[in-house]
Amino acid sequence: MKKQSGQSIIKLFLREAALVAKDHSLLLTLLIAPLLYAFFYGSIYINKEEQNVKLAVVDDDHSRLSRLLQQNIDNSPIVELIHFPNLEEAKEQMYRGNCQGYFYIPKGTESNLLTLKQSNVVLAVNAARFLPSSDILMNVQQICLTIGAGVRLQYFQKSEGMSSTIAMQNVMPVNLDYRPMFNERSSYGAFLLPGLLALILQQTLLIGLSESVAGERQHSRIGEWLRGGISTGIWGKGLFYLFLFSAYAFFFLNVNYNLLNLPMRGNGFELSVLLILFILTLIPMAQFIGSLFKSQLLCLQMMAFSTYPIFLITGYSWPFESLPLAVQWLSKLLPTTPFIQIYSSIVQSGASLSANPSALIHLILLWCFYSVIAYIRLNMLKKNLLSA
Amino acid sequence: MNRFGHIIIREWKRILSLKVFYLVMLVVPVLLFSFYAVIYQKEEAKHLSFAIWDDDQSPVSRQLTFLLEQREALNITRRVSSEAEVERLIQQGKILGAIHFPVNMQKDIYSRHPVNVTLYTNAASLVPAKMVYKAVAEVVITGSSGVILKKLIKTGMKADQAMALANPIKLNSYQLYNASYNYQEYLVPGLITVGIQMILIISSMLALNYEWKTETMQELYELSKGSALTVITAKTIAHLVVSWVNFILIAFVVFPFFDIGISAATGKFFVIYTLLSLACIGIGLFISALFKDVMLSGDTALFYTSPAFVFSGFTFPRWAMPWYDQYYATIMPYTPFLDAFFKVYYMNLPLHYAQADLNKLLLFCAVMFPTAILLFQRQFNTSKDEKAIRAVHN
Repeated sequence: MKKQSGQSIIKLFLREAALVAKDHSLLLTLLIAPLLYAFFYGSIYINKEEQNVKLAVVDDDHSRLSRLLQQNIDNSPIVELIHFPNLEEAKEQMYRGNCQGYFYIPKGTESNLLTLKQSNVVLAVNAARFLPSSDILMNVQQICLTIGAGVRLQYFQKSEGMSSTIAMQNVMPVNLDYRPMFNERSSYGAFLLPGLLALILQQTLLIGLSESVAGERQHSRIGEWLRGGISTGIWGKGLFYLFLFSAYAFFFLNVNYNLLNLPMRGNGFELSVLLILFILTLIPMAQFIGSLFKSQLLCLQMMAFSTYPIFLITGYSWPFESLPLAVQWLSKLLPTTPFIQIYSSIVQSGASLSANPSALIHLILLWCFYSVIAYIRLNMLKKNLLSA
Repeated sequence: MNRFGHIIIREWKRILSLKVFYLVMLVVPVLLFSFYAVIYQKEEAKHLSFAIWDDDQSPVSRQLTFLLEQREALNITRRVSSEAEVERLIQQGKILGAIHFPVNMQKDIYSRHPVNVTLYTNAASLVPAKMVYKAVAEVVITGSSGVILKKLIKTGMKADQAMALANPIKLNSYQLYNASYNYQEYLVPGLITVGIQMILIISSMLALNYEWKTETMQELYELSKGSALTVITAKTIAHLVVSWVNFILIAFVVFPFFDIGISAATGKFFVIYTLLSLACIGIGLFISALFKDVMLSGDTALFYTSPAFVFSGFTFPRWAMPWYDQYYATIMPYTPFLDAFFKVYYMNLPLHYAQADLNKLLLFCAVMFPTAILLFQRQFNTSKDEKAIRAVHN
């Protein structure tokens, strides 16, 4: 009996391979899309972080201090200053999208400091775009603090007669030593790329396999597919996807990670175990979804809209705790949620598989859950077919 | 009613009766757009799990901890005692950051020795890490300025002068158009409009070739007297009207319900939305006229539309992408739409600021519609032959 089932699984595996080879839509989704997307999307973030974000500057002070401020800002790799004679022109450039904000140094900035009065400078950023505006803000803030410390240093040395060492100790009594862990440069690319590659793997598998199952219904092949039993049907078909997507995962981790200069800090074997578990969970999930459609085209159309919502609620781009409760529950039904938690902790922070036991159990439970509902649904379809 | 009107009404009937149309054009928008708005209902990420590693145990460290507790972004959930523990808790996802107050911090501050307070964040989760940094940096900078201020006042300096020296260059920063970095205000309109592009292309890519599937091409040929121009114009109007229904859903239901968007910019939004719709319908019709095979059409549309959001520069600016990706971005209508959307909607500027972007959208229409008409006319002429229709269908 066991031998028969094994043979059926292999037959179904070969049947699926033949089916994919004949169906150009499946061929595109399963063989071309994953690789093309991985290189295509990956290349966007190849520079990892933005540089030379344009910031307009209007200097009404024309002093040594104002020049020092501009020089320091311009020296930062993130910001590139463009000079304008007045605020109106600077604002106009921001409105036209030629710069992301403006920095204004009013008249009297230096003379105020020389008479021990606080100097006010203005930074206005276009916060309609989050990344450039927050990068500018962080950089300019840091530079103003550094130059402020320099002003104090000079005061302590010249007016108080302190030695450089003593003056230095008085300048910044409390320093903030910032250590961003597991993404030292806090770059957007290093943050997004590992998740993006995992999402490409997941979505191409979900779309391809669900389309294949919808195709079985559309072309009245359910009976032929499930002849050897429901479980054999699920895992016989699934075996093809397990091999194919395991190969993609291996390829992404070795080729794309290298090309994109992404660190893989964890244990390769543990990551492989996790990826196989993830693919095993996606297989019955995709088959359940595909079984809900009678048309391959409709399945493709609906699945096309699943990518962004899934990515947005997994807790990768937006903290899980900040999602509304109902969305958190929905998110917990997706294998992506526990997977991405373990995956990012292995890949990015070098944790072991056992560092996230609850997420691992969660993923295993989802594997069981989707296997059961795929079994029930396909059994229902088979019974309907027999009774018809 | 003339033949033109007949085709429009016929197309609406098809949209309302065929799943491939009504699910994508009418059901998906309601579900998807509401879902996007719900995800970011909390607007900002708050109460991020944070740990304190206090080796000083002094009134100063307690005061700083108290100030950190007052920050909405932070939720102090744990006390830790080593860097290894911080690292382990971050790896397990139990905290997003931690602060370390070193031994003798208070003593060093009072004895004029500089102190290093260390902030750890999980920068692999970039959004919370930035929020944690911002909250903690504000507290530490304020604390540091307070120490300087106290010291200077002790030396007999006047309060205003001491203040000027504690913070000599005061940076007055203004975050225009989204002062609180509200994620709902920022992301939801972008996600919805990119969704609209996808909906329009994924539905209109079936407007012509699905007639073969439903075996109605002959009927369409007779109704239009074999004119591809009539068919494409009428179908464009039919799809555009449905797209306007979705505009009503976005601007008058989803946005007001979730309190998103700038109502004063609705008129301008309508103008650029209509141009985006026309460009997308043009592309969809072009794909539909190019491929008789609906699955191939679907795959092409999916491949073309799905990268729009990331390539448009919405989250990661285009100028930071390699040149070839920047070029690729220009072949999607969402890219000029987004540039215009930022100006006339988020920034509520007059339409003329988006003139160049609107021209690009018009260029899509000018190229796509005539090409679609030419391609479809060739296809249409063969539809007289019923055998050809059956051959394609089978």
